[in-house]
Amino acid sequence: MVRYMRHSSRSEATENSVTRISSALVMLTLVMSASTVRAQEKFENSPDARVLGDFKARVEKYEQLRKKADDSAPPLKETKDAAKIKDAQQGLAERIGAARAGVKPGEIFTPEIAGVFRRLLRPEAKQQQTKEAMKEDKPVVVSFKVNGPYPDKQPVATVPPNVLAALPQLPKDIEYRFIEKHLILRDSRANLIVDYVLNAIP
Amino acid sequence: MSRAIVALALFVTGVAIPAAQDAALPNKADSLKFAIIGDSGTGASAQYKVAEQLIASRAKFQYEFVLMMGDNLYSGSGEKDYKKKFELPYKTLLDSRVKFYATLGNHDNANEKFYKPFNMNGERFYTFKPKPGVRIFSLDSNYMDKSQVDWLHKELAASGSDWKIVFFHHPLYSSGGTHGSDTKLREQLEPLFLKYGVDAVFSGHEHFYERIKPQKGIYYFVSGGAGKLREGDVGKSNMTAKAFDTGYHFMLVEVGKDVMNFQVITDQGKVADSGALPRFSDADKKKMSTLTQ
Repeated sequence: MVRYMRHSSRSEATENSVTRISSALVMLTLVMSASTVRAQEKFENSPDARVLGDFKARVEKYEQLRKKADDSAPPLKETKDAAKIKDAQQGLAERIGAARAGVKPGEIFTPEIAGVFRRLLRPEAKQQQTKEAMKEDKPVVVSFKVNGPYPDKQPVATVPPNVLAALPQLPKDIEYRFIEKHLILRDSRANLIVDYVLNAIP
Repeated sequence: MSRAIVALALFVTGVAIPAAQDAALPNKADSLKFAIIGDSGTGASAQYKVAEQLIASRAKFQYEFVLMMGDNLYSGSGEKDYKKKFELPYKTLLDSRVKFYATLGNHDNANEKFYKPFNMNGERFYTFKPKPGVRIFSLDSNYMDKSQVDWLHKELAASGSDWKIVFFHHPLYSSGGTHGSDTKLREQLEPLFLKYGVDAVFSGHEHFYERIKPQKGIYYFVSGGAGKLREGDVGKSNMTAKAFDTGYHFMLVEVGKDVMNFQVITDQGKVADSGALPRFSDADKKKMSTLTQ
């Protein structure tokens, strides 16, 4: 219920009847549950289940760390004060950065996990249409580092849907991105590079 | 032959397009009126010039809101960027309480979703119903992950609206030389659009204007020239109904019960394209899926 209302405008919320929302939610929850289960099964039944389970646990650990960083400051709400948005992003990045001080590349993408990701990505990245989509407006980034910011003035390369579908799902506001051939795990709210896989695609 | 098929034939051949400059939307009292700007956020003089025309057009055509096709803020998202690339050029409209609804482009910071004047409700994809009979969906085409696709399924299925209008940054169909059609995104979205009867799709990303011939009964527009321009980039293809890449532009749209009117206005105040598009019935869409494409 909360999720549905959050995406809908306030005026819409008043227009829709409770009955309509309830019936739609019941139907759609069933559809979504089925597809979510299918997506989970795809990875859980694969030979890589153990490694991907490890990846999931590491991402969850990061998510918990971010939640603590989130909880130590007032939550960012919609605002017409643009400075507040930037300050919140900066503040969150600093708190996460401090909590992860000294973190090295590979904390999430261990060598074993990185190997599986390279293998999962290869068939998708070899498709011509995917290659073309990924090279569009790609960022020009000289260097990047774990716990460092994603360059604010650079575009984010689009990640084609088939590439996303080949990889495990991520929690909200954590996303896969590419810089050249390198896969980046990015916290979009803190604009922070969480970890990366070098030469993830051919 | 149904009325919609005849209208489609007129649309494809261009006969339905009224003369430029004089062309007027019906401007009916009970219709939904909105404007569209794409790839606007440069803060350069061209954006301001288009903004002036956008503001001027409201004197005759009282649009209620503006859809932003993404790349709302190029090269940075600091306080100064919001001011120079959004608040100042559109100040008159903001002061008149015209709402803006943004989608994210590849040059946007995802935290723009928290900027209240963009009306994204803190989400990178959202929907709203501006009036009975019309529902609008904004998607994040930079990152079409499962959570978003599931959400779109849910919202489209739950929508009983007559008109379903979707907007996002990357065009599914485009004759642009620099980018072109995003075919991978099309593979993902088009089946959903067809299943749930989407009527019209607006995108940006390409820095020109292109109206695509209806694809499987869906109208597609590319409108990414409200701040950037890529002259000579539209290589008119067999899917092009009308293209314009020699000047900056914005769009005006009027949605009536069965017809959607549109007008494309340049930074010089000229009309680059206009027309009236009938809303296709589901049966007509099925027929057209074999006529077009």
